[in-house]
Amino acid sequence: MNDELPEDATQPHGARRRRPSVWLVLAVAWLAGLALLTLFAPIIPSIRDPDAKVRIAGKVQAAYKLGPGNTAWWGTDRLGFDVFARCIAYAKNSLTMGFVSMTIGLIVGGTLGIMAGYFRGWVDRVISIIIDCLLAVPALILALMLIQRLDDLKETWSFLGPLTRKWQIILTLSLLAVAPLARIVRAQTMALRDREFVLAARSIGTSNARIIRRELLPNLVPTMVTVAFTGLGILVSAEAALAFLQLGIKESWGYMIEANRKQIDKGWWATLFPCLMLFLTVMSANLIGDRLARRFDTKEASV
Amino acid sequence: MLIVILVGVALLGLLIWRAGARYALQRLLQLIVVFVIVTFAILVVMRIGARNPTELAFRMLGGQPSPDVAANAVKDYHLDRNLVVQYLYWLRDFFVHQDLGYSLKDNQTVAKLLGPRVMTTVLLGLYAIIFGLLIAIPTAVLAAYKRDRPIDRIINLFSFVGFGVPEVVLGVLLKLLFVVHWKIFPAVGTKMYPWNDFGGHVRNYFLPALTLAIPLASVYVRFLRSDMIATLQADFVTLATAKGASPTRVLWRHALRNSLFSVVTAVGTQLGALIGGTVVVEYLFDLEGLGSQLVNSVLSRDLFTVQSLVAVIVALVVVINLAVDLTYSVIDPRVRQARALA
Repeated sequence: MNDELPEDATQPHGARRRRPSVWLVLAVAWLAGLALLTLFAPIIPSIRDPDAKVRIAGKVQAAYKLGPGNTAWWGTDRLGFDVFARCIAYAKNSLTMGFVSMTIGLIVGGTLGIMAGYFRGWVDRVISIIIDCLLAVPALILALMLIQRLDDLKETWSFLGPLTRKWQIILTLSLLAVAPLARIVRAQTMALRDREFVLAARSIGTSNARIIRRELLPNLVPTMVTVAFTGLGILVSAEAALAFLQLGIKESWGYMIEANRKQIDKGWWATLFPCLMLFLTVMSANLIGDRLARRFDTKEASV
Repeated sequence: MLIVILVGVALLGLLIWRAGARYALQRLLQLIVVFVIVTFAILVVMRIGARNPTELAFRMLGGQPSPDVAANAVKDYHLDRNLVVQYLYWLRDFFVHQDLGYSLKDNQTVAKLLGPRVMTTVLLGLYAIIFGLLIAIPTAVLAAYKRDRPIDRIINLFSFVGFGVPEVVLGVLLKLLFVVHWKIFPAVGTKMYPWNDFGGHVRNYFLPALTLAIPLASVYVRFLRSDMIATLQADFVTLATAKGASPTRVLWRHALRNSLFSVVTAVGTQLGALIGGTVVVEYLFDLEGLGSQLVNSVLSRDLFTVQSLVAVIVALVVVINLAVDLTYSVIDPRVRQARALA
């Protein structure tokens, strides 16, 4: 019955068409477009400065005075700032923080996972315990705790000085990414290390470092990229959640939602548009991750 | 509170007995190790970086304690000793005396502060899981039965969206619709137990539970649907159909029963995300639970409260994970056998 259903998700990827779906194109376009827009926002004339209040004839407008319209496309917020300009400008923070912390998470988690899966023995045991411990603390709670403490420790230890709030969040988020990544990479490595090509490499006397670099790593890249995209979605929404709980940075969609939600009846636009941006960004990352998972046939891709 | 703990211990004991002592003890030991390492790490993170014990006492109590209050705290919680000794004292206080520290801001012991809030969060999580299952099971059965038809595609789309949507967005949206726009539910969730005012309780917990349940249900659907599809192709299902059992009976009795393990697994793996979600949801809907308390304590730097809170949450996660694991092997003897052999 399957031959008439080329798009089926449960089929192995070989049977599927190669043409990317509309959704995938949209998701990539959204992320790429958003990145470009936020990068070039300062030099695009029709986007206002996010830190300048909207003025009409030189006068600052009252809270939520302007709804979505020509003057301010997505209206003005509690303090009279342009919601659209802020949504676009803050995309930079969300995207870079998600991306950088995912990269750190990939490097650390990948290394731990490969070491655990390849060397087995006590290395595996120690790393597995670390992973178990990290997973025992719910991610958001770990983040809440660490960010505040890093703030305090900065006062005591001067070498932490350059650690701005943004870097605190990046470090914390990358710690959250480590455990799930390490676990998946470990499982994959264990499956790969007894395959013939690895045995062959080992039997001709290849060093461990070279086996990992030349034989294992190329085979792990698809899994890691897949998990990275799904993880990016989760990290971006975690960053927004932190900002929502007033523990992130103020230049964030999450904080826009928090700052305006109590007066949602006066100006729905100031709350809902940041929500929409967050939703679309997270969804795009998830969608890319999901399609990659099907393409590479990755199991357990949900972090 | 005591009754709840006793019932919990009794249930856990029953599970351990049913799941096979050797396997259960092995898991228990593993989880104890995790609990000890995690709580020690939390203690270190909380208490590191103070120049002297008095400063540490100031930090831990939060606010501005008078010198003799701080001196008492140093003495009571042995803040002048090294961190390992402090941890041993903390373990004793936590388990033997149920002394979780003192919060100066709220002017009461942390144990008193947290007691009623544990209830709120546990109820909220429980409702979310129940809601999630109520939504997910019929949906997944339908999707598996109508595999690849339009209805299955629609369910897949919804579960994909539900899985990814951030709790903040979902919560704000539900609140806008049901509280602000249609005014069905009250704006402020007050603490209310089902045995005091059942209607009020439902009104206060419905939206927060739904916000948590939708992402959960999406994950459950994904697990259950793929498991059901595999089960529906098994020989015993074909046999049941051949013997003339109605499709309804085959689906709900034969196939679903054999696919329920995947749901149990999903409940376990989603636990961390669920508890993280309660933080956001309690904060958004003004429920007085562990999550909103954590946010408040972190913001006011009330470190005794934060430390104990996180420890309580980790204990909850660890115990529920153990329960899920054991349930898994109770309902499927094959798992027990495989694990005993491994």
